Formats: sequence, C-alpha cells, structure tokens
Amino acid sequence: MAAPNVYRPTGFDFTNELRNNFLTQKGLPLPKATSTGTTIVGCLFKDGIVLGADTRATEGPIVADKNCEKIHYITESIRCCGAGTAADTEFTTALISSNMELHALQTGRKPRVVTAMTMLKQMLFRYQGHVGAALVLGGVDATGPHLFTIHPHGSTDKLPYVTMGSGSLAAMAVFESGWKPNMEREEALRLVKAAIAAGIFNDLGSGSNIDACIITENNTEMLRNVEMPNQRVQKERDYKFRRGTTAWKKEDVRKFVVDEQTTLIGGGDEMDTS
Amino acid sequence: MPGMVSTSQPTQQSFNPYTENGGTILAIAGADFSVIAGDTRQSEGYSIQTRYAPKVFRLTDKAVLAVNGFAADGNMFVKKVRQRLEWYRHAHAKDMPIRAIARLIQTMLYARRFFPYYVYNILGGIEEDGTGAVYSFDPVGSYEREACRAAGAAQSLVQPFLDNQIYFKNQTPAPGTSFPKHLPLSTVLPLVIDSFTSATERHIEVGDGLEIYVVLAKGSTSLQGITSIRGVQELTATSEGERVFVIRRDLKKD
Amino acid sequence: MDHIDFNRLKTGEVNLGTSIMAVQFDGGVVIGADSRTTTGSYIANRVTDKLTHVHDRIYCCRSGSAADTQAVADIVHYSLQMYSQAAGKPPSVHTAAAIFQKLCYENKDALSAGIIVAGWDDSVGPSVYNIPLGGGLFRQPWAIGGSGSTYVYGYCDATYKEGWGRDETVNFVKNTLSLAMSRDGSSGGVIRMCVITKDNVERLFVPGNELPKFWEGHEVLGAAPKLGKVVPDVVPMAVE
Repeated sequence: MAAPNVYRPTGFDFTNELRNNFLTQKGLPLPKATSTGTTIVGCLFKDGIVLGADTRATEGPIVADKNCEKIHYITESIRCCGAGTAADTEFTTALISSNMELHALQTGRKPRVVTAMTMLKQMLFRYQGHVGAALVLGGVDATGPHLFTIHPHGSTDKLPYVTMGSGSLAAMAVFESGWKPNMEREEALRLVKAAIAAGIFNDLGSGSNIDACIITENNTEMLRNVEMPNQRVQKERDYKFRRGTTAWKKEDVRKFVVDEQTTLIGGGDEMDTS
Repeated sequence: MPGMVSTSQPTQQSFNPYTENGGTILAIAGADFSVIAGDTRQSEGYSIQTRYAPKVFRLTDKAVLAVNGFAADGNMFVKKVRQRLEWYRHAHAKDMPIRAIARLIQTMLYARRFFPYYVYNILGGIEEDGTGAVYSFDPVGSYEREACRAAGAAQSLVQPFLDNQIYFKNQTPAPGTSFPKHLPLSTVLPLVIDSFTSATERHIEVGDGLEIYVVLAKGSTSLQGITSIRGVQELTATSEGERVFVIRRDLKKD
Repeated sequence: MDHIDFNRLKTGEVNLGTSIMAVQFDGGVVIGADSRTTTGSYIANRVTDKLTHVHDRIYCCRSGSAADTQAVADIVHYSLQMYSQAAGKPPSVHTAAAIFQKLCYENKDALSAGIIVAGWDDSVGPSVYNIPLGGGLFRQPWAIGGSGSTYVYGYCDATYKEGWGRDETVNFVKNTLSLAMSRDGSSGGVIRMCVITKDNVERLFVPGNELPKFWEGHEVLGAAPKLGKVVPDVVPMAVE
C-alpha cells in the first residue's frame, strides 16, 4: 500500500469535487452561495476617484445581510468594490491586498492601481470564471487616478465612470445623463450617491444604505453609510415572551464552577522557567 | 461568435406562458370580522414593474379576495369571479354567501386543471352565521376554511409567525390560563402590519405599499375601534349589512 | 462530439462582438476597429480600445472573448519584451504573429479569440497576419474579422486595390468599418484606427456622429425627423 501523501498544494482544495459532482448528478444540488446582487459604481473627478456601493447581500430572494460592506481595502489609496459571489469578492480582494502589501515592501514604492488590476485579472482568468467576482477597482498612484472594471472571466475596462452588479443598468443611466469631465469633489459624490440610490430603489437585488469612498492623491476617506434612506420602521407590537413560554420535559441543574483550594507543601519553590 | 451554430446538445425552444410576479398576501379570521391584506409591489426578476398593483379585491360587502402569483392570471381570475357574482345577483336578487363563493372558486380553478391559473387565492369575509371566515386555495382548486393563512413570496416567513401569534404554536399558557380562540381586531391589525414590515425587511419582492381590507359582521363590536384608525376608508355598498373598510400604509421601497 | 464547439462563450462572459480590420499599403499598415463591448444585449463599454499594442511597431486587433484576447495579448506583449531584450533588436511582425498563433492553436479548446496582427518591421516592411478561431496563421494584404466582418466581405473584395497610399487606405478602413457597424448589432460606437509606419504610430479617431454615411433608406422610410423638433400631435397617455 502506498504511503499516505502528506503534501498539500497551496490554494483551493478540490478533494470534495468528485463527491460533489456525484451528488449533483444524483439530484442533490450544491448549497447556494451568498451573492451580493449589487449596485457598485466608480467615478473619476478633478482630484481623484469616488467609489460607491449599496449594502444589501442576498441569498436568492432573501436578504442575508442588510448592512454589509462591499468596498474592500486593497492599499491605503486603492480600494475595490465587489459584486457577485460574496465569498469570492471577499477572498480575492483580501488576497490581492496582501500581495500588494508584500509588493510595496519588496519595491519600496507606493503600489500602482494597474498592478492590482493585473493581479486580479490574472487570477480571475486562471479560474475561468469559476471565481465569480465582478469588481470595480479605483485608486490614485504616482501616475494619477485610475478606474477599472474587472469581469469574472478576467477581462478589464478602463473608463471615467463605471458600474457593476445587478443594479448596474440603473446606475449607468444616472452616469450617462449626469457625468461631466473635471467635476468637483462634492458634485462627484452627489452623482455617485444618486447612481447607487437608483440601484437601491429600482433593482430588487440592491437595497438598504449607501457606502462611498473618496480617494485623492494624499487622502482616502471611507464614508460608511453616508446615506441611510431605508431605516426600519417601529414595530406595532412587543414580542416579549412570558418566562415559561417554552415547554420543557425535565429540569437538571449542574454546577460548573469548580471549587478548589491550593495548599503549599514544603518550601514552595517557584516553577523553573529557565 | 454570435451567429455561429453550437454543435453540442440540441435544445428545444419553448414559450413559457407564466411569470412569477412576487408579493405576499395574508388573511386572518376573527370572531365577527375578517382581515385580508396584501402588499402592492409587482415585480419580475430583479425589476419592479409597478409599485402599486392591488392584489386584494372587494367582491361583495361580505367577501374580499386576495390573489397572488402570476398577476395577469390573477386579474383575469378576479374579473371572471366578479362576473359570476353579478350573474348570481341578477338571478337571485342577493349577494352570494361566502361559502358558496368559495365553492365557486374551486370549480372555476379546477376547470383549468391542465392549464391552471398560476394563482394562490385567499378569500376572506363573513359567513351567513356572522362569523369571520378565511378560505385558502391552491392553483387547481383544493381549498379549506382556516383561521389564518399567508401565501406568496414571503409565505415561508409570515406563516410561521402567524402560527405562533394566532394559533399560539410552540407557546405554553401561564398555569391556570388558556389562550383565546379568537383575537380582537386591535391585536390582529398590528400583527398584520408587523408581518408585512418584517417581510419587507427580509424579502426582496415584498414592499412599496400595503392594503388591508377589514370586513365587519353586522353589529360587530370592532366598529368603534376601526373608525379611529389613521387613513381608514369605508367601501361598504349596501346599508344595514356587513361593512368593508380599507387601510393603506407605506412600506419600504428598496 | 464530432466538432469542436467554437461558440463556447460561457454565460455572462464579456464579448467583443466586433468589427476589426487591417490593411497594408506601401509605407505601412492601417488597422481599425469599432468600440463596442457587450454582455448579452448590454453594452458594457462603448469606447473600447480593441487595437492593442504588443510592441513598438506591432499591434493586434482583438475579437471574440474579451478576457481570452486580453490574456493572450498580455502574454505576447511579455514575450516580445523578453525577445527584444535577448535578441537586441525589435521582433518581426511574423514573430509576433507566430507567438499569437502558437497560443491560439495549442489552447483552441479553451479560447475564443480571433486576432489580426499587423505592423511594420525591417525585413519585409508592412505586413498583416490573420489568426482566425482555430489558430491558423495566414498572411494577407488585408484582413477583416469579428461578427461584423461577414457583412462587408463583398464590399472589400469589390473595393480593395493594390498600390494605395496612406489616405486612400485610411478611407477604405473607415468606410468598411462604418458599413459593418451599421449592419451588425454587436458592433458600434466609434471607429478607432492606427497608422503604423517605419517612423511612428499615429492614432486616428472617428466619433460616432461623424461616421461615413451610406444608403440609409430615406426613399422607403421617409426623411429622418429633425432633431429637437417637437412632434405636435403626440399626447401623453392618460393615467388613471
């Protein structure tokens, strides 16, 4: 009998692939991943980039998270909005963020947006669309402000205003009618907020609050929940249950706190820690 | 490349006449009243078709019908039920009793057994003996009389809540007491509103607006309570019989 | 399965349902492309640059999957940098085309990429290479590609002449692409062109409202309505 293989390669673990394919064939579908049926946008302005996102995460028609964060940290002046499979956007951005930090340490320079873009597109292309991350990448580096979209199969576009996710059409309609070159910071933020709001109110996959992030040459401002247009309303009734509402069959009280007394015997030398 | 024909598996193109238009309805029967409610959002996929499309309809002064599922089928079905009720009124010079409407709906649904109306129906109102009634149907006509029922997109969210709060499922009463068989309107209305605000929070297809129909039996004790509710509107057509009211509320629009 | 399924764009994949073109003339080559990128019926990018730099005087026109053609072009770009450093001279257009062909041929089951390589080199001057879907390699005086190209083969066959100068060639490319874009729904936007000669690479841009116009059917459809003129007898629909 062959010795067990102790070598484990880095990266994804495919050991259950065969079993899962078999189960799928037998009619047991794989569990549904949380997707961020999302509106994410990015917009170029006079001194930098504004990124925007809604905060709803869904599992099919059910809202899984009402206030999740979709603007991910890459470096201090590069951020990335994620749409698609929540786990994929979370892990790819975290991995690339980590590699960008190492790259910055290695080169001793502030890392560039194209570097992050190239890392992301090469990773997504390698996985042929199975890593379902649709990204909006924006930031400012030594060569100026840059804004990219990265699709799950690894194709990229460089544009002055971009949208992605299920609400991208609603948001793009706002940009196509309102975007101008060389906008002021406040004007750009207002446009981004309007684009996300269009997604929140017209796309069922998007909802709740607006997050924004303004990146300029020497400052990054994360505006978490800049607008909260969907506050929960007061409930009409209290739903407190009377003590004893839940039925029980037997009662058993156990004592978990151990009462222990320590007695020193002899000299009581301290433990040898040399 | 578009235009190139795929050489893999042949596929059959077919037309699907049905769409799922989201939304949720529910109805609760009291001792001498009935509450029938539905949200007003109509959607397809991730798009909202309209923020105001009623799903609850007054049939007579003692019967209200809520329809949910495929909106086109729902509207056509209500139209045909109303037509049959008008014929009945011309023939018999009175409104059809609710248990008869329930049986009529069953036969109308089963008539389309092999091309069904893609609709879940809930009928609420007052029986001839003056008690509150709720009848719920499946798309091909199976029905039963119940005290409460939720249907539609958020059925799986709302029905367990109703079971707990109306039927007191999974609750043990305080020693020496018992749960009431029927709840008063002042308890039922807040439960209905809370059902819909909660479903709106967690289901993407529920929201925009809420319409609550209340049918009161002749001489119901709930009459004083209902007239003081904000934004209530009376829809009663005949005098000295059952009375129908509608209450409209906003729901979140995201 | 008997045949290779070339139409294997995965669902949701970004497509360059394109019109691309390259033509050689005495002093260089003219390459051109439309600017439309689509995901299904949605235009993901209306100002795409499908003319991709791979070396100083060698460019490629990309059609098919955006992800696949970008990845291939990135690899070729890298290979040509390594080549020019090692050889101490710029690569020939044929060398670049051969690297493209190798990648497209050896990975034909995983790629949907139709690429035209064009440029100028010391040994043969201007040249155009076509690399269609299966990964073949063909030198041609002119090449067209992408979904829009099928509409304009006849026009190209009837119009192309040998011995043109720069301006005539630029006009030929501009007219051909405009015709292709007007017939093909997945092509459109603006026209981007490059004139690659021994001395430089010149980029040309034709905005979407200044495309060359051909027959537009006014005889049968009536004159186009004047913009900004309000048609009087249209009344907003009455809403209950």
